Amino acid sequence: MVRVKSRYLLCEVNVSDRSRLLLLDDRAVAATVKAAVARIHGDYGAALCSIRFSVKYLNAHTGIVFLRFPKNCYRLLWSALPFITCIETRGQKISCFLNCLHVGGTMRTCQKFLIRYNTQQLHRMLPKCKNEEEKQQVQKEILNCSLTGRNKEAFEDESESEEDEEEEEE
Amino acid sequence: MSVFMDLNVNYTADTSRLQSLIETAAHLGFSTVAINYVFEPTVKKKQEIPAPTAISKVMDPLPIVQGRSRPIRVLNRLTIVMSDASHFRPTAVEYRCFDLLAVQPTTEKLFHAACMIYDVDIICISVTEKLPFFFKRAPVNGAIERGLVFEVSYSAAIRDSTRRRYTIANAVCLMETCKGKSVILSSAAEKPLDLRGPYDITNLGLLFGLSDGEAKEAVSSTCRSVVLHAETRKTASGIIYTVKSCTDWPPADCEAPAAKRARPQLTQ
Repeated sequence: MVRVKSRYLLCEVNVSDRSRLLLLDDRAVAATVKAAVARIHGDYGAALCSIRFSVKYLNAHTGIVFLRFPKNCYRLLWSALPFITCIETRGQKISCFLNCLHVGGTMRTCQKFLIRYNTQQLHRMLPKCKNEEEKQQVQKEILNCSLTGRNKEAFEDESESEEDEEEEEE
Repeated sequence: MSVFMDLNVNYTADTSRLQSLIETAAHLGFSTVAINYVFEPTVKKKQEIPAPTAISKVMDPLPIVQGRSRPIRVLNRLTIVMSDASHFRPTAVEYRCFDLLAVQPTTEKLFHAACMIYDVDIICISVTEKLPFFFKRAPVNGAIERGLVFEVSYSAAIRDSTRRRYTIANAVCLMETCKGKSVILSSAAEKPLDLRGPYDITNLGLLFGLSDGEAKEAVSSTCRSVVLHAETRKTASGIIYTVKSCTDWPPADCEAPAAKRARPQLTQ
């Protein structure tokens, strides 16, 4: 059976100040990636980008993006991602960089990886909790992590609000 | 999981920037980072080699590396930009406080001398201009046999378009001659936004002409071999090493058996 295969790249957008992250939106990220690929790989890259490239998921609170590329040229397009220095949205420039965490063949494997990664981030935040209440909340979230019975959005929204609180505490 | 290292992070006098650089590197997954002090001697006035600031003054405690449970390891490194043979003095005392030594030759003769004779760990390939000389097989193979590595840094490529061309041109030239062995890729990062994650750098290696496995080695195992080479350079033929005497051994009558007692760091 012939099946159209893609590669999903799980990237994290790192910024110097987290408040700017909330301005992100998926069309801005898509435009930035296309511009970067066109700059680095020229017309060939720009043409490849128009085949099956899209931003599948964007989370402005944690800065996680899922990008989809066609399987036969994803390495070439991936090699243009380190050259992104800022994302321009609604007239404002957010200076940032993209860090690729995982490459998966399907959205589901990327989601599993993301859940594990978020659990690790919660673990990293635990020693930094300032008061007992925060600690209890983070511990409860860690125990709640599982793939079954929860949809992706609900889980991540909860853990991100934890992360936001933690970041502000820091 | 392999160990990723970024052996070139530029030193800035601004401690908060240095702190955020180290934190970003730990967040991205680099387990070792080397702070680079660039020294460019000019003929006109006698300059002194800068002394490295102790890392405990900059940041304490060091952040934990993403994905591991140990804190990030920070080394000190000196890069000497050489335009003349007298710039590098092999027996200078100041070199001892640095963990890694690097040299950036600007002429063919200096390159040959650096590869064959000088006692350094890293030879930097400049990214700001097209190299005036070509790499020859003889000194490059000699350097590989001695355990030296060639370093290509990528942050200039990220910032500027013409520098991008020079970086790629020089890197491709080097790869043709050395066949992809003994190369490290590192950022010459000045701001935390110049750093890139290890998998992204592996991919950049493909642009420079390395193959898949070679590019991954360039960020992990070759860097590790450079750090080990630097440690053995301080010893007498790799056998004896001088260690600062530690005064804080745990008391001998503590409960845990000898193997499990916490030991103070030996290589500081």
